[in-house]
Amino acid sequence: MLKINKIDVFYGKVQALFDVSMEINDKEIVSIIGANGAGKSTLMKAIAGLNKASSGTIEFMGEEIGNVRAHKIVHRGIVYVPEGREVFPEMSVLENLEMGAFNRKFSKAELNKNIEESYALFPRLKERSKQLAGTLSGGEQQMLAICRGMMSDPKLIMFDEPSLGLAPVTVSEMFDAIVKIHEVRKIPVIIVEQNAFMAMSISDRTYVMEVGHMVQCGNSQELLNSPTIKKAYLGG
Amino acid sequence: MTIWKEDEKTMLESVLQLIVSGIAMGFIYALVGIEYTLVWNSTGLLNFSHDKFIMLSAYIFAGTFVIRMGLPPAIGVIASLLVMFLFGVLVAVGIFNPLRSMASPIFAVMGTVVLGRILSEMVRLIWGPIPFTLPNYLTGTYQVGNIVIGRVNIWIIVISSLLVAALQIFFKTTKTGKAMRCVQQNKKAATLMGIDVSRNIVFTIVLSSLVCTVIGMLVIPLFTVDTAMANMIGLKGFSSGVIGGFGYLPGVIAGGVFLGVLENFSTLVLPAVYKDCVGFVLMIIFLLVRPSGILGHRKNLR
Repeated sequence: MLKINKIDVFYGKVQALFDVSMEINDKEIVSIIGANGAGKSTLMKAIAGLNKASSGTIEFMGEEIGNVRAHKIVHRGIVYVPEGREVFPEMSVLENLEMGAFNRKFSKAELNKNIEESYALFPRLKERSKQLAGTLSGGEQQMLAICRGMMSDPKLIMFDEPSLGLAPVTVSEMFDAIVKIHEVRKIPVIIVEQNAFMAMSISDRTYVMEVGHMVQCGNSQELLNSPTIKKAYLGG
Repeated sequence: MTIWKEDEKTMLESVLQLIVSGIAMGFIYALVGIEYTLVWNSTGLLNFSHDKFIMLSAYIFAGTFVIRMGLPPAIGVIASLLVMFLFGVLVAVGIFNPLRSMASPIFAVMGTVVLGRILSEMVRLIWGPIPFTLPNYLTGTYQVGNIVIGRVNIWIIVISSLLVAALQIFFKTTKTGKAMRCVQQNKKAATLMGIDVSRNIVFTIVLSSLVCTVIGMLVIPLFTVDTAMANMIGLKGFSSGVIGGFGYLPGVIAGGVFLGVLENFSTLVLPAVYKDCVGFVLMIIFLLVRPSGILGHRKNLR
C-alpha cells in the first residue's frame, strides 16, 4: 500500500535519513523503533509531506506522493498524528474533532457518526466535549489527537510517540485504542515508539532504525525474542 | 439654587455626549486593534503599514470614487471594498507569504514598514498633497432631548458592532473561519488537517485589509483625508490591544472602548491637547503592571 524507496532527507546541510526503504501492506500494523534521533519522526514527516526527500520515492496506492504538498497528503487518505499531540488549544474538544474532518465533505450525519465513534472509543472526551483542548490533561489530549486523526476516515494512519509523557496506565489505554481502531477500520497503522516493547507487542512487523539508517526489519514476535534487540531496546 | 441645577443638567448632558463620542472613537480603536490582531495571530508578524491601508482606502473611496467619479457613496463603498480586496491579495502574496518564512522576522517587519512609505508617497503622487474632505457625508447631528449626537458617531457604533458580530459568527461557524483559527493556534497541526496555510494567510490579510477599508470610510468625517490621517488611530489601536489583552479579540474591543471613553473624559480635567497622551500613558502603565491586559487572557499554548 505504502512503499518508501531509498529516500534521503536533509535538514539544511545535515543528513537525517540515509537510503531508507520500507513497505507497509494492507491491514497490517507496523512499528518503527529506535533511539532518540534515529530518524523515526523524520521518516513519518517525510511520508506526511512535512519534510521533502531529496532523493528516492514514496509511493502510496501506486501513486508517487513525494512531491505532494503536506496539506494535500491528507486528501489522499494519509493521516499523521504528530508527536506531542498538537491539538488546537483554544478550541473545544468537539471543534478539534470537527477540524479532523476538514478535508472531507461529510454530511452532518456522517460527521456525527464519526464523532460518536470517537466518544465511544474514549468516553472521557464526550464528558469534556465543550472544554477547551488546551485545558485537558496530557492523556486526554493524546486521546483527542488520536480521534481527530480518525475523523477523516483515513486509508493509512501514522501515530508518532503516542505514549510520550503519559502515565503507564494511560499508555496501555492508548495502545488498546490503537488495536481497536485497527480491528474496526481494517486500515494499515504505523506506530513510531521509544516504548519498543509496547509497540512490538501489538504490531505485525517491526522496523529498527539507528542514526538515520534502517538497520533491521522483521516479524515483531521474532524480533521481540532476538537477543540483540532485547539488549538494545528492551533493557536486556 | 435654580442656576446650580441648570449647571448640573448641562454637566450631565455633556458627560453623556462625551460617553457617546468616546464609545464611537473606542470602536474605531477596537476595529484597528482587530485588524492588526488578525494579522499578528495568523502570521506572527505586525503589519506596520496598517494605518496606511486605512488612509489608502479613505483616498480610494473619497478621492476617486465619490469626488472624481461622482458615484453615490453606497456604490463607492462596494467599489472600495473590491479594490482593497485585490490590494490585500497583492500584499499577502507579494510581501507576507514570501517574507514570513525568511530566516528572521526582521525582513517581514522591514517589508511592511517600507510598504507604508511607498503607500504614502504613492497617494501623494496620485491624489496630490492637499488634504480634502467629503462634503455632506455622514455629517449633521441627531438630537435626543437636549443631547446632541453627531451622526457619524451613531454610524460608527452601529457599523462597528455589526462588523464585530459578523466576524464572531464568521470565526465560529464557517469552515474558512474555523480554519483561520486553526492556523492561528497551530500551523503544523492545521497543515496536517489538510488546511493550506499559505492560502489561509492570504484570506486573513484580505480580511484585515477589508476591516481597514471600513475604518477608512468611517473616519472621513472625523479627520480630513490626508496622508497622516490614520497615524494616531493606528497607534491607539495598538495601545487598546495592549490595554485589553494582546492578540485576544474580546480584549481588544474592551480595551478600545475603555480607551475611547477615558480619553474623552480626560478633557474634563486636563487641557484638551493632552488627550492623545492618555492612551499611551495608559499603555505604559498596563505594560508595567498588568501586561496581560484588562481581561487578563493568557494564551494556552500547551
